[in-house]
Amino acid sequence: MACHLRLILLVLSIPFVAALWPIPRGLSNGTTPLKLSSSFDIQASFKNVPSDLQDAIQRTKSHLKTDTFERLVVGRGSVDAQAIAHANSLKTLVLSLNHGAAVRPIAVEVNTVAIDARDESYSLSIPSHSAQATLVANSTLGLFRGLTTFDTMWYHNGGDKYILNAPVTITDSPAFPYRGFSFDTARNFYPVSDIKRTLDAMSWVKLSVMYWHIADSQSFPLQVKAFPELAAKGAYSNDEFYSESDVKDINQYANERGIDIVMELDSPGHTTAIGMAHPEHVACINKSPWTKYANEPPAGQLRIAVNATVEFSKTLFQSVIDLLTGTMMSSGGDEVNLPCWNEDEETIQALAQSNTTIGQALSSFVQEVQGVMAKNGKMPFIKSDMVLTHNVPVINGTGIVVWQSYADAVKVAQRGLRFIHQPSDYFYLDCGAGDWTGNNILGNSWCDPFKTWQRAYSFDPYANLTADQYSLVLGGQMPIWSEQSSLENLDPIVWPRLAAGAEVFWTGATLPDGEPRLGVNATNGVNAFARINELRFRLVDRGVKAIALQPKWCALRPGLCDADS
Amino acid sequence: MVYSVLCAVIAILTVSMPSSHALWPMPKSLSTGSTPLKLTASQFKITTEFAETHGHSTNTPADLTQAIQRTTAHLQNDKMERLVVGGGAADKSAISSKQVKTINELSMSLVKGAVVRSIAEEAVLPLEQRNEAYELQVPADGSSATLTANTTLGLLRGLTTFEQLWYFVDGEVYTLEAPVEIADRPSYVYRGFMLDTARNFFPVSDIKRTLDAMSMAKLNTFHWHATDSQSFPLQVPGFTEVSAKGAYSASMVFTPDDVQDIVTYAGERGIDVLVEIDTPGHTMIIHESHPEHVACAQASPWSNFANEPPAGQLRLASPATANFTASLLHAAAHLFPSPFFSTGGDELNANCYDQDAETQQILNSTGQTLEQALSGFVGATHTALRSVGKTPVVWEEMVLDHDIELENDTVVMVWISSQNAAAVAEKNFRLVHGPSDYFYLDCGAGEWLGVDPTGNSWCDPFKTWSKSYTFDPMANISDANAHLVLGGEQLLWTEQSSPSNLDSIVWPRAASSAEIFWTGATLPDGSPRNVGTALPRLHDLRYRMVQRGIQAIALQPHFCAIRPEECDVNA
Repeated sequence: MACHLRLILLVLSIPFVAALWPIPRGLSNGTTPLKLSSSFDIQASFKNVPSDLQDAIQRTKSHLKTDTFERLVVGRGSVDAQAIAHANSLKTLVLSLNHGAAVRPIAVEVNTVAIDARDESYSLSIPSHSAQATLVANSTLGLFRGLTTFDTMWYHNGGDKYILNAPVTITDSPAFPYRGFSFDTARNFYPVSDIKRTLDAMSWVKLSVMYWHIADSQSFPLQVKAFPELAAKGAYSNDEFYSESDVKDINQYANERGIDIVMELDSPGHTTAIGMAHPEHVACINKSPWTKYANEPPAGQLRIAVNATVEFSKTLFQSVIDLLTGTMMSSGGDEVNLPCWNEDEETIQALAQSNTTIGQALSSFVQEVQGVMAKNGKMPFIKSDMVLTHNVPVINGTGIVVWQSYADAVKVAQRGLRFIHQPSDYFYLDCGAGDWTGNNILGNSWCDPFKTWQRAYSFDPYANLTADQYSLVLGGQMPIWSEQSSLENLDPIVWPRLAAGAEVFWTGATLPDGEPRLGVNATNGVNAFARINELRFRLVDRGVKAIALQPKWCALRPGLCDADS
Repeated sequence: MVYSVLCAVIAILTVSMPSSHALWPMPKSLSTGSTPLKLTASQFKITTEFAETHGHSTNTPADLTQAIQRTTAHLQNDKMERLVVGGGAADKSAISSKQVKTINELSMSLVKGAVVRSIAEEAVLPLEQRNEAYELQVPADGSSATLTANTTLGLLRGLTTFEQLWYFVDGEVYTLEAPVEIADRPSYVYRGFMLDTARNFFPVSDIKRTLDAMSMAKLNTFHWHATDSQSFPLQVPGFTEVSAKGAYSASMVFTPDDVQDIVTYAGERGIDVLVEIDTPGHTMIIHESHPEHVACAQASPWSNFANEPPAGQLRLASPATANFTASLLHAAAHLFPSPFFSTGGDELNANCYDQDAETQQILNSTGQTLEQALSGFVGATHTALRSVGKTPVVWEEMVLDHDIELENDTVVMVWISSQNAAAVAEKNFRLVHGPSDYFYLDCGAGEWLGVDPTGNSWCDPFKTWSKSYTFDPMANISDANAHLVLGGEQLLWTEQSSPSNLDSIVWPRAASSAEIFWTGATLPDGSPRNVGTALPRLHDLRYRMVQRGIQAIALQPHFCAIRPEECDVNA
């Protein structure tokens, strides 16, 4: 008896769980069922619709035909059959731009407008009793975000696509412009098709940046015009590198989906693979014991004190910049190792000749490569330890990637620098898989434990910051480092956890109603779990092998598998 | 300077490179040479020569013929390049010499007097009658390789070894280590993998792919945790209402045909299917079709009534429920040819029964304690299974935490801790190792319960392949009790797993225990097994699995996989 009462209460208390992820910042809805007409169409009310927006419309129309996601309730879609039997049919979605808005391709909005100047806002109105829905924005990018919302809200049953909560009115825009995924394609290689599938999924949760950690000490899979030998000798094989046309293809594919590419050429550390073609530029290459010269094997860093190496690096950066559109780029800079240089004869000699310290050489190297980026109009990014540990000066407008700990964000903010959150203690997707170095039986993951979606979701972008520092937060990103990942487990290790970061940085420090996302007093945990379970099933429906977060029994019964239920 | 350092590093590496024969599990006895030998996959023949029995020739069993065809296909399709810098190209000069011989045939035979049975029949014999031994010789001079065994099951194991000897580059299939001589047999009779198909469902195709991967590592038991509180996907004749109402959907069931398909597929690969219908706990879902048999179904808070949601256990004190359960298991037992059947028995929650009015009423009227009722319940299910020739298997609590009568041939699975195996042995029960602190593949993925952002995996941390690999099956077991250790298995509980990540969470990690229980404590040269020399071979198995379409996880950056030992912690 007690059990039955409880079930009834739960059913009544389940909020509107249309699979909207990230949750829109302004949302109201009714309780009227609504179907899509069999002749449903999406039209633009303006002329000269850019081809990438036309393609996006086609993709949405295609999803509305091919998605077979049924609502996550006991009995699934059939439960709603009666409710929608006589529902009104929506015949069209009309897209329009606000007066004065430029009609430009989505890709142009993404790759020519500074990250903090993009307009991703949109308004979506779906009536309960008239045949036409409207989507309005200030840019094609905003229209694209709105289309994404529209095409992830419908449920499938038999031949029908429907919602139960018309009318729906959404006024939405992101809290932070930089919402990213950092992708390491160097420790292990990923084919272009895997990257494209990842970009598709990223666009469904409105992520705006793929931060591409393309090369590292283990391999250099990027074909660069100035130095083709880098990939020829530094890639894992003749099949495992990204040609110039691959990079352009990925760049375009991403931009058309509202995603910018921030290419990271990690330097001066994490560069052993450059030494496979250019050993003259790399100190302590493969030096043993690696634990003394690097954070992981193999050791090797660019000879920052040697002029020829600085010139080589500048040319390398320029050559990579020539490949890419976009307004941002990163020189990385994490985990440089001083003993590597201190014991390197060429470095010792060069420092003696120029009468400089290794610290000065590091500052100078960073300024040189940052200068190349700035000269080309790219906003430079750099890893937080460059600033916090090595006190390297950065040029104006640099973005800092805060990675070691969430607590470092305050220290970066205190220096008045803009930054993105990438804390290993909340966002690292690779943590918790044990140690991967050999002969280390009891070794644990350095950033153990595994970061669950709930852990990432509980992150507060404004934690410990003063109100006047809020404007320094550009957003954040969750990374996958690929020592223990490859195309075999890409989808399951990334999805749906990456979506936790997507909602954190779309919605901001709190949910739209002002409630904390998760935490001691949070009231939205049940709702968030229900929505992310829906997202996970939708991802699987679209061919992304997202992991199960719970037994399906729980996914069908929101709230019954909570820690305290 | 730079170049000299580089060259020195390379020179050292070349010298210290361990022998790279990619055999997993390592055979008990192995000798290899250093002569390159090629194999023309399209022309290679595997022949069988069986002694005549009773004056007429014996046909090759169909499943052995199929195994031969699979091996032939693998030799043609594996495209496995040796894991060295440069890949297969590094070996091209070694195999391009005109002096390199080509082998054309593998000749298989059973020893004289051997009874010719199908692999599937051999795989489900009583444990003491199973024979997986084989001998394999691959001469360096191009003459036929020979494989001999006492059974077709042994021949299958030998074929599996043979397939792993070969690498590929540019259309050439070759080894660098002829001649090869192997005399091999497993150290333990039970080498398993457990899959939970109840927390989340797995289609037949995923199970078959898993069986393929298991057979690559010579595992011989698929422990199928078929049902649990969350779903009951097993369709049992006579009890179809249980899956009709308890499966996740009408398509997420294993019909008798599906079971037959899986059992046949497993048997052909030398794998016994040990099914488990967990009782009396882990059974809430039976409430959907038979509410009369389930106590505390979905009672709240679940943590008072079960180890995970939803709560619900069979009313073990009820004669009607005991009868129902015994009949259900009896009916299910007919679907499986295995000599074993598991009745589960883990994580029984006493409070569930203390709060259940029906149970209390029965206990009061019969004057029984809960333990006495449990003993009667388990006895009823085991009697039903024994009546159809099955030996029961139970989880460790049935002998360590409860005072119930169990026949001495009951097999006990140890799961809570590796420390508990000795206690089971002391009670003189045969045991299978499945300790959560070494063998649970699901550990380390964080908490899956809702509204618990800092919750951790209950069996944190993640069990790496090397942690599993260091398990000692005889730790704390007296010599007198050593015979009670049947073997062990790695296990996947699927609260956080589904078809999306099945391969990547299981492989190649589940191969760790495959080597422990096949190879035993020592390598062929008498040295102890160790993670240092194992890693390059496990990489080989992982890459070969990927070649065959199993999405096994990368254990390290590829950089490390092609440079053995360079990424060791102390390198």
